[in-house]
Amino acid sequence: MTTTEETPAEGVPAQPGGAEEIDGLGASPMADTAMSKAMGTYPFATDLWAEGLLWGTLVRSPHPHARIVRINTESAFRLPGVQAVVTAADIPGDPLTGEPVADRPVLARDVVRHHGEPVAAVAADHPDTARLAAAAVEVEYELLEPVPDPERSFHAPPLHPDGNQVRHLPLRFGAPDDPAAVGEVVVEGLYRIGRQDPAPVGTEAGLAVPRPDGGVELHLSSTDPHGDRDRAAAFLGLEPERVRLVAAGVPGAVGEREDISLTAALGLLALRTGRPVKMAFSREDALLGHVHRHPAVLRYRHHADRDGRLIKVEGQLVLDGGPYADGSEETLATLVALAAGPYVVPHVRVDGWVMRTTNPPAGRLPGEGALQACFGYEAQMDKLAAKLGLDPVEMRARNVLATGDIMPTSQTVTCPAPVADLLKAVMAEPLPEVAADGGEELLPGGTGGAADLTQVRRGIGFAVGMVPLLGIEGADEVSTATVRVLPVYEDLEGAASGVECVVECAAVDTGSGFATLAAQIVRETLGVVRVRVTGADSDQPAAGPSARGRQVWVSGGAVERAAGMVRKQLLQPMADELGMSVELLSLRDDRVVSYDGRYARPIGELLGGRELWASAQYRPHPTEPLDENGQGDAFAGLAFAAMRAVVDVDVELGSVRVVEVAVAQDVGRALNPRQVRARIEAGVTLGVGAALMEDLRTDAGGRVVNASFGGYRVPTALDAPVVRVAALLEERDVVATFGAKGVGAVPAVVTPAAVAAAVRSATGRAVQRVPVRSADAVERRS
Amino acid sequence: MLPGSLDEAVAALDAVPAAVPVAGGTDLMPAINSGRLRPEALVGLGRVKEMRGWRYLEDGRALLGAGLTLARIGQPDFGALVPALAAAARTAGPPHVRNAATLGGNVVSAAPTADTLPVLVALEAEVTVAGSAGRRDVPVSHLLTGLDPLGPGEVLVCLRVPLLHAPQVYLKAQARTGPSRSAASVAVVLDPARRGVRCAVGGVAPVPLRPLDAEAWVASVIDWDGGRRIAREALAAFGDYVAAACVPEPAGAPRSEALAAERLRRTIAVLARRGLGRALA
Ligand SMILES: Cc1cc2nc3c(=O)[nH]c(=O)nc-3n(C[C@H](O)[C@H](O)[C@H](O)COP(=O)(O)OP(=O)(O)OC[C@H]3O[C@@H](n4cnc5c(N)ncnc54)[C@H](O)[C@@H]3O)c2cc1C
Repeated sequence: MTTTEETPAEGVPAQPGGAEEIDGLGASPMADTAMSKAMGTYPFATDLWAEGLLWGTLVRSPHPHARIVRINTESAFRLPGVQAVVTAADIPGDPLTGEPVADRPVLARDVVRHHGEPVAAVAADHPDTARLAAAAVEVEYELLEPVPDPERSFHAPPLHPDGNQVRHLPLRFGAPDDPAAVGEVVVEGLYRIGRQDPAPVGTEAGLAVPRPDGGVELHLSSTDPHGDRDRAAAFLGLEPERVRLVAAGVPGAVGEREDISLTAALGLLALRTGRPVKMAFSREDALLGHVHRHPAVLRYRHHADRDGRLIKVEGQLVLDGGPYADGSEETLATLVALAAGPYVVPHVRVDGWVMRTTNPPAGRLPGEGALQACFGYEAQMDKLAAKLGLDPVEMRARNVLATGDIMPTSQTVTCPAPVADLLKAVMAEPLPEVAADGGEELLPGGTGGAADLTQVRRGIGFAVGMVPLLGIEGADEVSTATVRVLPVYEDLEGAASGVECVVECAAVDTGSGFATLAAQIVRETLGVVRVRVTGADSDQPAAGPSARGRQVWVSGGAVERAAGMVRKQLLQPMADELGMSVELLSLRDDRVVSYDGRYARPIGELLGGRELWASAQYRPHPTEPLDENGQGDAFAGLAFAAMRAVVDVDVELGSVRVVEVAVAQDVGRALNPRQVRARIEAGVTLGVGAALMEDLRTDAGGRVVNASFGGYRVPTALDAPVVRVAALLEERDVVATFGAKGVGAVPAVVTPAAVAAAVRSATGRAVQRVPVRSADAVERRS
Repeated sequence: MLPGSLDEAVAALDAVPAAVPVAGGTDLMPAINSGRLRPEALVGLGRVKEMRGWRYLEDGRALLGAGLTLARIGQPDFGALVPALAAAARTAGPPHVRNAATLGGNVVSAAPTADTLPVLVALEAEVTVAGSAGRRDVPVSHLLTGLDPLGPGEVLVCLRVPLLHAPQVYLKAQARTGPSRSAASVAVVLDPARRGVRCAVGGVAPVPLRPLDAEAWVASVIDWDGGRRIAREALAAFGDYVAAACVPEPAGAPRSEALAAERLRRTIAVLARRGLGRALA
């Protein structure tokens, strides 16, 4: 195992493919698109254009729960410039969509089940006309009782033909019912987690172009080209082959990105009108329409012995799934399986439920399920420590999980699980200065200038946490990639002057750096300086969604395999000629060199004008569903992190600023240290948002009250703390591609727990809910 | 349309009654771009010379053009003249917005969370409006409360604020560290010549509120001749007094509302206490 210090930003080559430089694995080349994104010239989906295009817009329900009595589209359709108005009655294919349970109407037919649910779509010559027409669609609603509380949903009349319970997952481990399985020390807690929006910088947008064969081409900032294509095709009643999905520039993706109502409505409007149709969501559209983090209500009871060793964890965990199933089953499985956290516990009894509500839909965000659990179990660990008079870090150290231990799902942890070392690493970091040298803006309350230094208290909180990597419970993870090596001709007549590699893979780079890593993998394997990664579309074999930290592992695995096959094709003839095995030849700087350096030839020469290529598929080892007792090998991999958050709190106003987060993370192998660091910073910022401000709220009537960036606050640069990477522990996970673990999710998972602990230490308040409200961070008046 | 003078601007607005004036556009353009507002024509005020710049008046006040940007007002020279207005301007939105946003636009938009308003109300500023019927001067509070609103075709030309040569404070409670709208804000200005304290609270009602009784009471307990000292208890009482005046007890309201009111009152009390404390320090 090695420990890398904080990676310096300097001394890292700024540009990929510098003449002599081979940016293989472990180097930190910059993403090809980094400059154009920084300069504002990178084309995102909102920049798409086609001759004669129409503008689409959706009609959304103003009510959280209502029966649709009648929809009259006539007056909307009669407006000059309006080309089409469609409703559920116009859907040619399957009106229901959703993975894995198809329970969501793309356009509501009989009932609307959340504020903002799409009921119709309009296409017009001008975006203003489309908006006017949307407002002119008359929908008569008969209001129904909203069900905004997931706990009340158990006994509420069914919101959906499939019933209100999306999934109930019990977990029983050890002998939780044995009267002897009780601890001398018992703590209880009730915890709530708010509704975080994925809040991508750019909203959903796309362009649909009808094809001469009756099909449609969809240009979308999709992160799952094949999934989105298949869902759109089913809705449109078309063979998947007649729908082509081209991934357009993704302006930020947190979890899965596309809102099926946009994809489907675009396709339908384009087919209806025979013209290209463009749609770009407003921020309000985006906040109302797409899936959010599952709000959660967690009840915990932890038992420990006098030495601080966990005896039993009991939990009743309820998720607010919104009206449709979406990713809720997977979220629940993660929540329940990780309910006790990265600790060894002999007895566990946990029950989890996802309930339908009339709240905004819930789905996958980074660390979904794991984040909610972490907030709960870490608060419990602190409570136990306080009751036992133990240091919170010591309390954790006495219980941490390690490789070879058994999880409450009975799965043995086979991957590296260096939780104890992670804790030590964050403990060893020096604390930040207390002096407020950053000026008033960096005090709690920030630019408002209200902070009073005599009322600012500093708090420190620790937390550890874990996430599963890849799809869980038997999800079929598979990806395919093709790698080509071809000669490059600088002028038309001349001989090949060099070589280039082209990587084709349908894995969308959401900005998380997959394309950069794919190029690094190919450089490492084939020694070719010039590597190009093509765009993703649904004509290529499927690579699956860019979520759950899976692309580096699954698609990276396919790229590695394909590159290895090309390597063999390239070297075999030369190896035969020299009478040595392929292993004795190495490839670097566009040349083949024998182990002793006596033979060296340019790769271009070996190609002899040909192109070599190979396609490979990669499938990680399978997982299995959790059984009726929550038991089973449900996870392909796990990643861990430890954190120490330092906060300043103005204890009279309850304003909180996170000063610093120190992170120690188990990364398997840092394939691109700079990218790893960037992913950790992004994850921490996402976690700070969940911890302190991000919550899409509804009023008593179930309507969303803050569907704008004025009301739904995301962290600004001033809110983002200093992220100190205490350690990147590089213990390779032998089953993962290059031993690397997904890095983006686990920092998001642990941050809210660490920040909440720090606020508790600053204020002495219980802090049982995130985002932390100012009223919960105010010191009680004595 | 980009008129160069006030007369041209007024004439342009008179000619097209459905035209809307635009200054920095930071409030107007988002409304137009999202389709919430569809004006027939826009009259740009950016070149109207009467709305630009500022100057001293002979009566000891300063005249501020409606077209001054919040970025400009946030500069140190304004900070020396009208400290609370400069502080309020600096807290209003991110820098790129402040570079375009104008004082006049902030007043005319009159958002409950608008940051310059509590200061202007506490200063008892006066505004000059002009229309085809001529010019008139209006106290800013009359404009905001609708007692004497901006008429059709009228524009806000400039504002007059007193130069009090004494400390002033603007404090804003907000839900994050970076720029955001106020959850509540308090402006406190001292008027030593008249031995007065003036205070206005923003963000809690449609227009800024003046707790006149609290002002009068606290002015009477400040030792104006002895270095403007005040007892700690009096500072705290002032905070509570202001809060009670601005956030009424919600009689018979559900518990959640009562709790929210209690929290808001506490925030205002802290802001008012700190604000006056800093002004008197
Ligand atoms: C991201 C963002 C954050 C913001 N944050 C804050 C904040 O924290 N605090 C805050 O106070 N404000 C904030 N604002 C609001 C805004 O910047 C201010 O209200 C600004 O001062 C408006 O001035 P403007 O020149 O841009 O007005 P415009 O948008 O040009 O006009 C606003 C309105 O006033 C009218 N108008 C403008 N000038 C005149 C005039 N001279 N005579 C008659 N009518 C006129 C226009 O017709 C229009 O109705 C924010 C805005 C944005 C976009």
